[in-house]
Amino acid sequence: MYEICAYLCNKYMGILFKEFTKGIAMENPIFGLVLGLCPALAVSTSAANGIGMGIAATFVLLGSNIIISALRKFIPDEIRIPCFIVIIATFVTINEMVLKAYFPALNQALGIYVPLIVVNCIVLGRVEAFASKRRVLDSLFDALGMGVGFTIALCFIAALREFLGAGKILGISLLSGFEPAAMFVLAPGALLTLGLLIGLVNYWQFKKTDSK
Amino acid sequence: MKEIVKYGFTLGLICFISSSVLVAVHAVTAPKISQAREKGEQAALKEALPDCVDFKACMEDGKISYYRGVDSSGNLKGFVVISSGKGYSSDIQVMAGLNTNLEIINVKILSQDETPGLGSRVTSPEFLGQFKGKVADNFEGVQAISGATISSNAVIKPLKEKIANLKEKLQAK
Repeated sequence: MYEICAYLCNKYMGILFKEFTKGIAMENPIFGLVLGLCPALAVSTSAANGIGMGIAATFVLLGSNIIISALRKFIPDEIRIPCFIVIIATFVTINEMVLKAYFPALNQALGIYVPLIVVNCIVLGRVEAFASKRRVLDSLFDALGMGVGFTIALCFIAALREFLGAGKILGISLLSGFEPAAMFVLAPGALLTLGLLIGLVNYWQFKKTDSK
Repeated sequence: MKEIVKYGFTLGLICFISSSVLVAVHAVTAPKISQAREKGEQAALKEALPDCVDFKACMEDGKISYYRGVDSSGNLKGFVVISSGKGYSSDIQVMAGLNTNLEIINVKILSQDETPGLGSRVTSPEFLGQFKGKVADNFEGVQAISGATISSNAVIKPLKEKIANLKEKLQAK
């Protein structure tokens, strides 16, 4: 699928597409880069929270990646970190205000983790490693890919935990005669689920490179 | 020296633009935020005392002490109190609606962050239903959830105190 797309698109589109897909697959923030685990562990108690946190983080990533990439020649190297933090914090604050104003229920569920996107290492990591060196368009696709990858990973962990821990997905009960293990909604369940998933992803990736 | 001025200016400019943007966003969202908060509060009050259409906050020392609920013709129908207690892992905020005889109509948990599956069971109708019909601060027959005694007591005790407090105030009047 990926090969066909890359072949059909012209070379430039191919590069952009690559920037987008790498965040979802090979350099997935959670399973590949192992960044941003704190929110991933804390918020992934239910699938709805996972989606909400993923979208909120994607918005921040997108905004800060674009702005910082556009300003990369204006920001002196020596003071880049404070500049990045100010810009990221601005987007996070906008995010929080919008959530509070239009989605109060989601805001309550995500709680402290929305303001904490400021120090989410995915955002600062992408800005530092990618956006501060690359063109705006590349950075946009990088942010989109990383955001979507983070959201997918978060949803996957959250859905698994919600299913095992509460017997539901997105608040809908799936099984009747099934006693859910509440542990999976708690902290140990988060660590277990994440650890096993990363192990599984690594196993697949090693198998793939071995067969090549 | 020249460098420092340049860095300072750059960072200052970025901060200035950022705060200008935030001022604009705040101007747009602030009324919506207070609206949403008020709406949530009114909805919760309505749930506690379904017969009432309007709620007036009674202040004491700059804080809301209790709410007076009135029906559509302006008659006093009951009171709503909000109590807060330290549970196992969070502050549990409880809202209770009482009629004019200080009989409990409804109890609702406003916010809690107790252990899911254990302490969080204080939000269950089985537990909260026990309060229904209890008069004033006499909670005889209200049982704590086994395995979640701390969370249960964080609901029961502060609520009891709050209602006793309300009773005192009303008698003083």
